[in-house]
Amino acid sequence: MRDASLPKRRSELGEILYHLVRDPLGLAGLVIVMLILASAIFAPLIAPYDPIALNVPDRLQGPSTAHLMGTDQLGRDTFSRVIWGGRVALQVALPTIGGAIFFGLLLGMIAGYGPKWLDNLIVLVFDTIRSFPTVMFALAVVALVGPSLNTVIVVIMVTSIPTYGRVVRTLTQSLKEAEFITAEKSLGASTPRIMAVHILPNVLGPLAVLAAMDIPTVVGLEAGLSFLGMGVKPPTPSWGSLLNDGYNLIRNTPWLIIAGGIPLILTTIGFTFLGEALRDVVDPKLRGKGGK
Amino acid sequence: MTVLDIRNLSVSYATPRGELKALREVSMTVPERSIVGIVGESGCGKSTLISAIIRLMAPNAQVGAGSVAFKGDDLLTLADAQMRALRGTEISMVFQDPMQTHNPVLTVGRQMMDIQYRDALSKAEKRKRAADMLALVGIPDAQARLNQYPFEFSGGMRQRIAIAMALMAKPSLLIADEPTTALDATLEVQIIKRLRELQDDIGCSILFISHHLGVIAELCDEVVVMYAGEVVEAGSVRDVFHSPAHPYTRALLECDPGHIKEKTRNLPTIPGSIPDMVNLPGGCIFADRCPMRFEACATRPAMAEARTGHKAACHLIKVEETA
Amino acid sequence: MTALLEIKDAVVRFAVRGGVFRSAGSIDAVSGVSLKIEAGQTYGIVGESGSGKTTLARAVAGLHHASEGSILYRGQELRDLPESQFRKLRREIVMMFQDPIGSLSPRLSIKSLITEPFRIQGMKDRDLDAEAKRLLAMVGLPPEFASRYPYQISGGQARRVGVARALALDPKLLIADEPTAGLDVSIQGEMLNLLARLQDELGLAIMIITHNLNVVRQITDRVGIMYLGKLVEEGDTDTVFANPRHPYTLALLAANPEPDPDAQLMRIELQGEPPSILHRPTGCEFHTRCPFLQPRCSRDVPAWQLDGAAAHRCHFPASWTGSEVEPA
Repeated sequence: MRDASLPKRRSELGEILYHLVRDPLGLAGLVIVMLILASAIFAPLIAPYDPIALNVPDRLQGPSTAHLMGTDQLGRDTFSRVIWGGRVALQVALPTIGGAIFFGLLLGMIAGYGPKWLDNLIVLVFDTIRSFPTVMFALAVVALVGPSLNTVIVVIMVTSIPTYGRVVRTLTQSLKEAEFITAEKSLGASTPRIMAVHILPNVLGPLAVLAAMDIPTVVGLEAGLSFLGMGVKPPTPSWGSLLNDGYNLIRNTPWLIIAGGIPLILTTIGFTFLGEALRDVVDPKLRGKGGK
Repeated sequence: MTVLDIRNLSVSYATPRGELKALREVSMTVPERSIVGIVGESGCGKSTLISAIIRLMAPNAQVGAGSVAFKGDDLLTLADAQMRALRGTEISMVFQDPMQTHNPVLTVGRQMMDIQYRDALSKAEKRKRAADMLALVGIPDAQARLNQYPFEFSGGMRQRIAIAMALMAKPSLLIADEPTTALDATLEVQIIKRLRELQDDIGCSILFISHHLGVIAELCDEVVVMYAGEVVEAGSVRDVFHSPAHPYTRALLECDPGHIKEKTRNLPTIPGSIPDMVNLPGGCIFADRCPMRFEACATRPAMAEARTGHKAACHLIKVEETA
Repeated sequence: MTALLEIKDAVVRFAVRGGVFRSAGSIDAVSGVSLKIEAGQTYGIVGESGSGKTTLARAVAGLHHASEGSILYRGQELRDLPESQFRKLRREIVMMFQDPIGSLSPRLSIKSLITEPFRIQGMKDRDLDAEAKRLLAMVGLPPEFASRYPYQISGGQARRVGVARALALDPKLLIADEPTAGLDVSIQGEMLNLLARLQDELGLAIMIITHNLNVVRQITDRVGIMYLGKLVEEGDTDTVFANPRHPYTLALLAANPEPDPDAQLMRIELQGEPPSILHRPTGCEFHTRCPFLQPRCSRDVPAWQLDGAAAHRCHFPASWTGSEVEPA
């Protein structure tokens, strides 16, 4: 019996984390993302003040020990609003991307694996959605049903589906020709089984990378819509509405707009680093060990 | 005169697990106008050896001691620009996969003319040279085919084009890395024959890497047998294949399907696997799989002469000589 | 007694889309092949690229649709059999693929991979852990391998996993596509010995697809040489090797010489390359490369001629005297 010995192996998640922390950018991204997630989850514990509590006498104060990022035009603590704004950002990002992944996976796999006519149909749907500029589409929908958090979520989700769907479709098409799929067919595996057990897990890796790098885009979209007044309604704090407030008062009280911008920048940097590092980790592993 | 003289070459790779000693004190020579074969199985280090010779190594490769003398000059000490001047002119290569050797978006003619960039010839002259080379490797209708793209040729033809391109500059040394492994056996036969004729014509030396023992026997004058990063045997093809001096060579020959004449339900194999080259066991590299190991094998054997011009790294040889 | 597998004049046809460099049409990758495999027998199909051997194997495994002819398994016609009925037969007709690691689903553990057949066939009441251990032991792999993943094992080990998976449901016919390709010479024997042992222990019939005549000689009872979608020589292995008649068979034998520089080489060399299936040669399809070409060969398709326990299709079959080739 040859080759009986093998080096000890970590679990798959362990493997991913192991390589991730070795990449300086990946580590930085991971830390930043963890911070953002933690601050959003533990917002009630971290934020020093109630974000919507008015305190008009203390309005428009600069950063101080009492108010780390100063106060806005209604005396509300900016730092607390930033922290709670993170909650809103994630409240928008997670269902949006979650929903886009779900439908993108479903439609993408069917398009990639199924009959040509179905593929053509689904691609047509994707292309149609993509032909609408997101913000215009959002404005149109908001004009119809009025601004709200849920409107923003649905709009961004629908416009994101084609992005994920196309990636899944391409991956599925190439996997369809792989020898292991032929092997499963020779064992009598049904099409639903092949799609669920053999194609889906191999598509999730690249999809996770895409999602990680899409979060800043979605958060930015939400901020943009809120900035235009089409998103969350006041007094709910959102990074976009912070930008909006700050924009109006930029001349004398610049800290407001900076406070709105910093979290967006951090989110973008953190998730982008993480996503890129993830991509490097996920790919070579699928290809097997290197070296001769 | 020796075209290539490798002495005590050692190369390691830096890996997460540690230093992988891929080549350890490898020595071999390629005389002028001769065809030398390198035989070895996976992990023997032949790819590392070639990449060290042409100095196109992976970023995590470290060259230890040793020298690679090409016509007297140590390639390892040359500047990058000098090495580049040699590649494609004095030393050229043919690779294993004919499907990936050529640029798919340029015509064959364009590629064959591009590689003549160092020569001060007119376009028409370069084209003629390319067409002549194609005809020489047996591609009919050469002039017309220069205008075609690589995908319009079959695998066998692409490999012939690769050989034509490699030999166009009349190199002193052609390195062929498993050039026929990806081809059907009947095509292999044709290409080997063609290679032999060309070598005779041009007068170059060929370093031919393969795991196909029958082809090595037919094509090469001398052969070097490698195992897990070391040279275990070297000599003329006749000596090594008729009277193998190293137990690995012997075992390899016994396993070769072309060698086994009678039908058997129990084919010979070499049990075990190659040692871990990060944590090398001491002593003879083949000891743990060798049917003839004894106490002396705990120390690494030096290359001993079994007869003139035929060496092997095995303690048993000395034993025979003193017996 | 009905043969386990009987193929009669099978044709596997593929449509070819027109394009910038090709006109539309169809190609017969397998163009009228007939052979029989008995239970417990090993049959070798030998050919080079373009011979159609892999297509034929996949047609038998139900992965390609046979356009004409018939493929009978225990007397049951497989051609045009709907998948719902073929599924039951997939317990008995199994296939091992050429790319050892590529044929294993990368995200499944070895245990999941080799017990997949049980799940697919709805046999969930079995103790899958025990089955996995049993199958691993059968192919000589240690039980720890069950928790490994395809990217963590070598090519040779992956091949054995492929065998283990194929054997899961106690099949009667194993189709092995190039089981030794890419394996080091020193371990090719292990795979062949394993297949031979399994055949003895399980009474398995094996259809081996390969381009290596030497492999075929060791392990098969019968052999069929394919060229451009048709059989050119077929019969008892020992007979074919002792007395090869078709020039292509001779060329294949000559192309795998023994490692002996002084060996007498059968001086038979083919010209050119295999022609495109889109433009089949007239008459004998081999005539464009045959060193013994005569005018008749480009006109008439040769018929089968029996010669002892083998048969060949050649107008002017050669013979091997043991030291040289004698043309007809």
